[in-house]
Amino acid sequence: MLFQNRFTCWSACLALAAGAATAADSDVAKLTQDPKVWAMQAGDLNNHRYSELKQITSKNARDLTVAWTFSTGVLRGHEGGPLVLGDMMYIHSPFPNKVFAISLEDQSIRWKYEPKQDPAVIPVMCCDTVNRGVAYANGKIFLQQADTTLVALDAKTGDELWKIKVGDPKRGETTTNTPHVFKDKIITGISGGEFGVRGRITAHDIDTGKILWTAWSTGPDKDLLVDPAKTMTWTDGKMAPIGPDSSLKTWQGDQWKLGGGTTWGWYSYDPATNLLYYGTGNPSTWNPRQRPGDNRWSMAIFARDLDTGMAKWVYQMTPHDEWDYDGVNEMILADIKVKGQPRKALVHFDRNGFAYTMDRVSGELLVAEKYDPVVNWATHVDMKSGRPQVVAKYSTDKGGPDVNTKGICPSALGTKDQQPASFSRKTGLFYVPTNHVCMDYEPFQIEYTAGQPYVGSTLSMYAAPGSHGGMGNFIAWDAGTGKIVWSKPERFSVWSGALSTAGDVVFYGTLEGYLKAVDLNGKELWKFKTPSGIIGNVTTWEYKGKQYIGVLSGIGGWAGIGLAAGLTKGTEGLGAVGGYKDLAKYTELGGVLTVFALPDR
Amino acid sequence: MSIRMTVRLALAMAVCFVPPTALAQASAAAPYQVTGGTQVDAHTLSGWRTWRALACERCHGAAQEGMVGPSLVGSLKVLSKDQFKEVVLKGRIEKGMPNFDGSKMVVENIDNLYAYLKGRSDGAIEPGRLQEIGK
Repeated sequence: MLFQNRFTCWSACLALAAGAATAADSDVAKLTQDPKVWAMQAGDLNNHRYSELKQITSKNARDLTVAWTFSTGVLRGHEGGPLVLGDMMYIHSPFPNKVFAISLEDQSIRWKYEPKQDPAVIPVMCCDTVNRGVAYANGKIFLQQADTTLVALDAKTGDELWKIKVGDPKRGETTTNTPHVFKDKIITGISGGEFGVRGRITAHDIDTGKILWTAWSTGPDKDLLVDPAKTMTWTDGKMAPIGPDSSLKTWQGDQWKLGGGTTWGWYSYDPATNLLYYGTGNPSTWNPRQRPGDNRWSMAIFARDLDTGMAKWVYQMTPHDEWDYDGVNEMILADIKVKGQPRKALVHFDRNGFAYTMDRVSGELLVAEKYDPVVNWATHVDMKSGRPQVVAKYSTDKGGPDVNTKGICPSALGTKDQQPASFSRKTGLFYVPTNHVCMDYEPFQIEYTAGQPYVGSTLSMYAAPGSHGGMGNFIAWDAGTGKIVWSKPERFSVWSGALSTAGDVVFYGTLEGYLKAVDLNGKELWKFKTPSGIIGNVTTWEYKGKQYIGVLSGIGGWAGIGLAAGLTKGTEGLGAVGGYKDLAKYTELGGVLTVFALPDR
Repeated sequence: MSIRMTVRLALAMAVCFVPPTALAQASAAAPYQVTGGTQVDAHTLSGWRTWRALACERCHGAAQEGMVGPSLVGSLKVLSKDQFKEVVLKGRIEKGMPNFDGSKMVVENIDNLYAYLKGRSDGAIEPGRLQEIGK
C-alpha cells in the first residue's frame, strides 16, 4: 500500500473531507487544516504560509540539524517548494519541470515524471526557467509546465491523466506559476509580459482540464468578465461601478492587444464569499510613451466570483506603469484590526514599494504605505483617488525615450517580487522578504514581433544608496497601521518565501544560501548554509511525530541570473543585475532540497 | 586618429586571443568606425539599436559581460563572422540561445550587429548608449 496511515491522518482526513465538502468540492481545502501536511504551495487558501506546528520553537531552533537532502539534478533557479501529503512528498524542478514523488519513510523515489517539452520555450522565458511548484487535489498532482501545458498526474503512479495547453510559446507565452486548486476548479495564469503577451487567467475542471472560463486583464468588457454597472473600483473615496469600456478607454488604439497584465503570481480564495483574488503584471512595452493612458487593468488586484469568473471589484495599484512594477505578488487574506476596526482584509505587498490593505469583501482601500523607507518614485498614495503621487524626476515617461532616469527606488525587481510573505495568525503580523535595490531606467522605442522580446528599456540596478549597503531586508509589518515593526538588513535581496510557526519562529532563505530562523523580534536564532542560493519557499510538516522544515536551494531567477557565466569581472560596468555580482563569491548553481529537524533525544 | 588606435588595439587583441582560423578576418579593417568610444558610424549604430531592441542584455548583460548567456566580449574574440551569424540566426536552442532568423530587424542588421559587438569585444566601443559620428 502506497499511503501508509499509521502515523498520519491521511486517510482520516480524506474521509473527513469527503463527508464535509459538497460533492463537487475537492479535498484540498480540508487537508490544509491539518498542520501535519502541506497541501498547497502557500500552505492554505489564504496565502498565510503559517503553521500551527510548535515542536520547533524559538528556544530550541538553534539545535536544528539536517535530516536528509535530495538533488533535483537540475541547475537554474528553484522557486516554490514541496507538497507533503501523508507519507509522500511531491517536489518539482525548473525546466524541464520534473516531478518526483518521494517516500518520507526512506526517501526513495516512488515515481518520477519528466514531460517532453520543446526547448524552444527556454529563450522566451523572461527571467530564467523557474517553476513555482505543483498542486494537489483528489488524488491528482497538477503541474503547470513551462510550455503552458497544464497536466494532471495520478498521485500514486505519476501516470498522466489529462493535459491541456493554455498558451502558445511561439507568441512568447510561457508559464511559471503554480496551479491553484480552489473548491472544484484549478486556476492558472500566463507569463510573458516582456513579449507583449495579453494576460488572462483560466479556470479548469479538475477531472478533465476543460476550460470553464477565461478572464482577460485588458480589452473589451466581455473579455474582462466584468459588469460595467456592478463591478466596483475605488473612486473618489468610495466604491463605484467601473462603467463601460473601463480598459479600452485607457489604451491608445489596439495597444491593449499587446497589453501585458500577465498573471504569474500567488492567488488566494475566500470560501465565505466565493471570491478568488490575484494580481496582474506590467503593461507592455516597458517604454511608457508607447502606451499613453492608465493601461487598465494591468497592475491591478482582481476579486472574481470563482464559479463565473465575473469580477466583483478591481483596484489598479500603478496606473500607467513606468518602472515595471508588476502587481502579481501574493494576495494574503487575513482577518485583522485595521485602524482599530476588525476587518476581513486582503494584504498585498506590491512591487511598487507600497503595502496595500484592502477590505477584501467590498474592495475598499484602507491602508497604502511604503514598506521600505527608500521608496521614492511616489510621495504617497492619495487615499481618495487611490492613485500614487508620482515624483516628476523619477517619471521615465516624462524623461521620455533615450533619456536615462536615474536613482529610482525601488528597482524593477520591486521592493518585493513574487517571493511570498508569511502571515502569523498568532502575532497578527506579516513577515516579509524584501529587496533594497534601486535603478536607472532608459526607455526606447520598440517594434512588436510575435515571439520576440518586447521590452523597450535598458536598466541598471544597484543597492539602495545611502543605506546599509545591502540589497535586502527581512521585515515585520503591521498591515493594520501600515508600519514596519522591525527590519533586519541582508547583504542580498531576500528572495525566498517566508514561513512563520506557532513555535514563535520565522524562517527565510538568503541568496548566499543560508536558511535562517529568527524569533518574533527578528533576532537570528540559527542559520545553515545550503548547497546553493535560496529562492525557494520554506515549508514545514510533521511525520511520525517529528516536525520538519524543508527548503529548495538553487540560485537563479531574476535575482540570481547574474550569477552564471562570466560575471566575475567588474570592469565592464553595471549589468542589468550589476549589484548581484558579489553573489558569485558565495554560491553556485544546483537544485537541492534540504530537510531539517531537531535531533533525537 | 581614434579609429587608427582602435584598429591597432584590435590587432593586438587578435594576436593574444583569436585562434588562427579567425586571424585573417580580424587583421582586415575593423567592421566599425568609432570616435571617442561612444560615437559610431550609421551601420554600427543600427547594430547597437538591434542589440537593444531584441533585449540581448537580458542574457548577455548590459555590457556584454555575460549573465546566463556567455560574455560576448569573450565570444567575439573566438567566433568568426560566419559562425557569429550562424549562432544568432539559427540559435543554440539547447543552451537557451533563441534563433533570430524570424526577426526582420536582426536579419537585416546582422552585419551591423556583428560590427557593434566586435567593437565592444575589441574594447573600442564603450558600453551603453551610442551616437552617430558627427551628429
